[in-house]
Amino acid sequence: MRNFLAFFRRFRVFLFFAFLQIIALSLHIRYLSFPKNQYLTTASAVTGKILEAENDVTKHFNLSKNNSALQQENIKLRTKIPESFYKVGRNLYKIEDTLYEQQFEYIPAIVINSSVTRRNNYFTIDVGTKQGIKREMGVFSDKGVVGVIHNVSEHYSVVKTVLTKDINIDVTIEPIGLFGFLKWDGHNPKKGSVTGISNDLKIKRWSRVVTKGGSGIFPKGMPVGKVYETLPVEGEPLWDVVVKFSENFRTLQRVYVIKNLLIDEQKALERRIPQDEEDEDL
Amino acid sequence: MNVILKNSIRFVVIILLQTLVFNQIEIGYGVHLMIQPLFIMLLPFETSVFTLMILSFSLGLIIDVFSNTYGLNASSLVLMAYLRPIIFKFYGPREGYDPLKEPSIFDMGSRWFLFTFGFLILIHHFWFFLVEIFRFDQFLLILQKTLFSVIISFILCVILQTFLIKKSKTK
Repeated sequence: MRNFLAFFRRFRVFLFFAFLQIIALSLHIRYLSFPKNQYLTTASAVTGKILEAENDVTKHFNLSKNNSALQQENIKLRTKIPESFYKVGRNLYKIEDTLYEQQFEYIPAIVINSSVTRRNNYFTIDVGTKQGIKREMGVFSDKGVVGVIHNVSEHYSVVKTVLTKDINIDVTIEPIGLFGFLKWDGHNPKKGSVTGISNDLKIKRWSRVVTKGGSGIFPKGMPVGKVYETLPVEGEPLWDVVVKFSENFRTLQRVYVIKNLLIDEQKALERRIPQDEEDEDL
Repeated sequence: MNVILKNSIRFVVIILLQTLVFNQIEIGYGVHLMIQPLFIMLLPFETSVFTLMILSFSLGLIIDVFSNTYGLNASSLVLMAYLRPIIFKFYGPREGYDPLKEPSIFDMGSRWFLFTFGFLILIHHFWFFLVEIFRFDQFLLILQKTLFSVIISFILCVILQTFLIKKSKTK
């Protein structure tokens, strides 16, 4: 009996340890799959405020670089405004266009917290439900795709970047138009990979990788990166295409959130597709 | 200074340093700087293992909130707190620890600190990266990240002690 009590006493410490471990690990696993509780992330008001104050100081470190990037983008956009075109006919530009309906709107945002060295990297941005941000909206910068909104609060939101385990953005490799999914292996924040590309086609180095736009999160043809090399996958007729991202995520500060005005229509339509029995087994 | 007050200040300072400074530094080669094990290490010798675990759980959770790791830091710090008394017993002097001393590099000597803290920080980092990556085909990446991060975090913690603590007068 005395031995048993002594054993239990020793065991009690371990029980408490196991209890805390189970809480911590279950929180971790639950957050990875679905963020139920936004109060315990950087999207919450308190941590958001503190990180915003910190960003107020550190944002100046990359100021000149970011300014020139914005300038570049301005030049690009300036060439597209009506004033920079020679008017051939009077009715070339109409304000109420019936041929083109606005599908995507863009909301500017600033990255207030980021990481690139972890296995799953999240960015916190300074827009939230007040600006109309919802889960699963796309986020991009002037150079390319950044990620998808993962978690929203009133003033802040957390972006699941392309540097996470299962981001799975649908992309195409441009001249040949092959479809694949974007993945990241956790090694290098400059390179990702595209899976599901069949190896009977040759892929040229530095061919552009752009979004496919099938899920309605990103518009079609938004740049992701360029093909760096193609590696064979063992035992499968597939290429593992290594992509060099066009955006440098280390110094990223200014991003845009994509609001697809027609996403509800697309989703409602796709929901009517009858589910295949075989697909559910997969 | 009162022990509770002193450690509360350390608690806040370590959280601020870790979340606002060291979380933002990116060295490359998979190095991820973590100084929060230092807080658990520097708690007094007579702290019970339950207090250690509760403190490390709350410290870890607060840091998790700031860095979107959500439970990872809490888990690895609790593991470290659980092992601390065992390691201390293993490397301790035969007559037990002097309760007036602190488990720091100044009071206990660099050799003792290297063994105990080195071992604890190694366990902490290894567990952190193991749970974070959680793929056994990337075991080499886990080892690489652990090794590089441990070396730099350890050096950083030694430097930080000169700022965070004063030498005890009883030496």
